[in-house]
Amino acid sequence: MAASVRHLLKPWTPSLCLMRWSRYNPYYLDPDPSKDARVPESELSPEEKELQELKTVSPIKAALSSDTSSAFNDPLISKFINMMMHDGNKILARGIMTQTLETIKRKQVEKYHKSPAAKREEIECNPYTVFHQALENCKPIIGLASVQKGGKSYQVPVPLTDNRRRFLAMKWLITECRDNKHRRTHMYEKLSQELLAAFTNEGNVVKRKHDLHKMAEANRAYAHYRWW
Amino acid sequence: MHFLFNFDNTHLSTYHSEGHSGQYYTLPPTHIQKLFPYGLPPRFQLQIKTFNEGCVMVRPPALELISYLKRADYSKPPLRYVLYGDIGTGKTMSLCHALHYCYSQGWLIVHVPDAHLWVKNCKELLPSSSRPSRFDQPIQASQWLKNFKITNERFLSKLKTTQRYVWTKRESTEKGQPLGELIDQGVNRMKSSSDVVGAVLRELRLQAGGATEGEGAFKLAVAVDGVNALWGKTSLKKEDRTMPEELTLIHNLRKMMKNNWSGGAILTALSQTGSVFKPRSAYLPSELLGEEGFDNMEPFVPVSVSNYNEKEFESCYLYYLDRNWLQHPHSRSEEGKKELIFLSNKNPSILERLCAFL
Repeated sequence: MAASVRHLLKPWTPSLCLMRWSRYNPYYLDPDPSKDARVPESELSPEEKELQELKTVSPIKAALSSDTSSAFNDPLISKFINMMMHDGNKILARGIMTQTLETIKRKQVEKYHKSPAAKREEIECNPYTVFHQALENCKPIIGLASVQKGGKSYQVPVPLTDNRRRFLAMKWLITECRDNKHRRTHMYEKLSQELLAAFTNEGNVVKRKHDLHKMAEANRAYAHYRWW
Repeated sequence: MHFLFNFDNTHLSTYHSEGHSGQYYTLPPTHIQKLFPYGLPPRFQLQIKTFNEGCVMVRPPALELISYLKRADYSKPPLRYVLYGDIGTGKTMSLCHALHYCYSQGWLIVHVPDAHLWVKNCKELLPSSSRPSRFDQPIQASQWLKNFKITNERFLSKLKTTQRYVWTKRESTEKGQPLGELIDQGVNRMKSSSDVVGAVLRELRLQAGGATEGEGAFKLAVAVDGVNALWGKTSLKKEDRTMPEELTLIHNLRKMMKNNWSGGAILTALSQTGSVFKPRSAYLPSELLGEEGFDNMEPFVPVSVSNYNEKEFESCYLYYLDRNWLQHPHSRSEEGKKELIFLSNKNPSILERLCAFL
C-alpha cells in the first residue's frame, strides 16, 4: 500500500499536457486560502468529513502568489486581472482593475447623493456586485462550433461549459474596450462605462451576446450535426 | 461623537478647539469656489465632487496653527509656520484648513497651491523683459493672477499702487491706480505677467501693516505649499540646454518669505511628492529645504503632522460609512476594519486610496 502511494507521489509528468503548467500529479488538491476553510467538526456532513480527512493526508498544490487569505480576495476579479494582463505586467493590470472599481463606485455614489431619497435604494453602489452582475449579463448561453460535413463546414449551435462562458464574457469585454473606443480615453474609464452599460443590459458586449444567440437560433436546423 | 456640526457653518473655524479634534466640519460651497479654485489636493477635489460636499477633519496640527494665528501680534514682522511630516499625513489639508480660517476672518490671501509647478515642466520659458539674466514663466504667472483675482475680489478696488510701473514703451500703470487694473494688465499681456506678479507682491507687502484702522487695514496671509521648491534645483532648461540662473516668480516669492514687512502671517508646508531631485525618505525641514532654504526660513515655527491616531481613524471610518463609500461587506465588519488599519498604517492618503476601491 505504502509502495503504491509512493509511486503516485513521485515527480510525475503526464505524457500529454492538457493545460499549460499543469505538471502536478492529479492526486494533488487545490489550495483554499480563505479563513472560512476551517469549520468545526460537528457541522460537517459525512462526505465533508471524508473530504477533510483527505485534505490532512494528501498533498496540496502551492498557492498562487496573487491569492490572499483575506475576505477581500475575489477569484472572479483575479481571473479578470489575469486576462487583462499583458507581458506579465500584473501590477499595471491590477492598478487598472482597482481604478475601474473606483470609477464605477464614484459614478454610482455621485448619482446616489444627487438623487432624492425615494430613488436611492434602487442605485447599486457596490462595484463588486456591479461587476458580477455585468459579467452575468454578458455570458452567452449557447455557442457556435464549426463542424465539417460533406466538404462544407456548418456553424452548429452547441452548449458551452461554465468556464467557457465566463471566458467568452471577459474576452468580449476586454476586446471591446481595447478596440472600439476612443483612442485617448484611459482603459479604466472605458471599462467602467462598458460595465455600467452591461449592468443594465445595454452596450456593445450585450449586443454581441444577443447576436450570437440569434445566429444560434437561426442555425437550429444544423443542431443534429453535433455528435458530442 | 465622531461627527458633523449641525449649526451655522460660516464662522465655524473660529470655534474649533481641542474638544473638536477628530470631528468633521463642512466647507461651505461658496467658500470652496472662491478660496480654493485650484488649491485643494486633486483626490480631495474628486471626493468633494462624489459626495456633493467638502468635509475636512479637524486635527491637532491645524488647531495648533489656528491658535497661533489667533494669539499672534500683528504689529510685529510675520511669523513663519512650516508644516512638515511624512508623505500623505495631511500637510496640505491642514494648510487649507488654516487658510479657510484666515479667509473667514477677512484676511487677504496669497496662495501658491504648489510651488513645485513653477520649477518643473514649464512649457514656455521667456527671457525677462525687465532684467536680462532672468527668465519668465508667462503661463504660470497669468494663471496665478486669475486665481488671485477670484479669491480676493473685494480687496482689488480698495488697494492702490504706490509707484509708477512701466511695462513697455507704450504701457505703464500710474501711481494710485486700483490693484485690479494691475492684475488685468498682467492677465491680458502675457509677456509681462511675471513682472506684474512681482509688483503685486511688493504692493501687498508695503500696504499690509500700513493703515492701522479704517478701510485700508487688512491682514495678509501668505500660504505656500511645497516651499522646498523655492531653494531647490530646477529641472527647467533654456533653449541651449543649460540651467537658467534666475526665475522671476521664484525670486519674487523668496522676497515674500523674508519677514521685513508686518501685519500678517506666512503659512507654508513642505512637500516631497512634487519635489525634484530629492529622495523619497526625506521629510524633515533640514533635509527638504537644504542649507540655503533653512537659513532663509530660519527662524520658523515647525508644526509636525503625523498619521491618524485611533480616534481620528474611527472618525474617518465612520464618515466613509455614513457617506456610503465603504461598499464591500467585509470592510464593514470588525475584521475588515483591522485589515484596513494594518494595510494603511493609519496613513490618511493610503487609507483613502484603499477605501476607494473597496
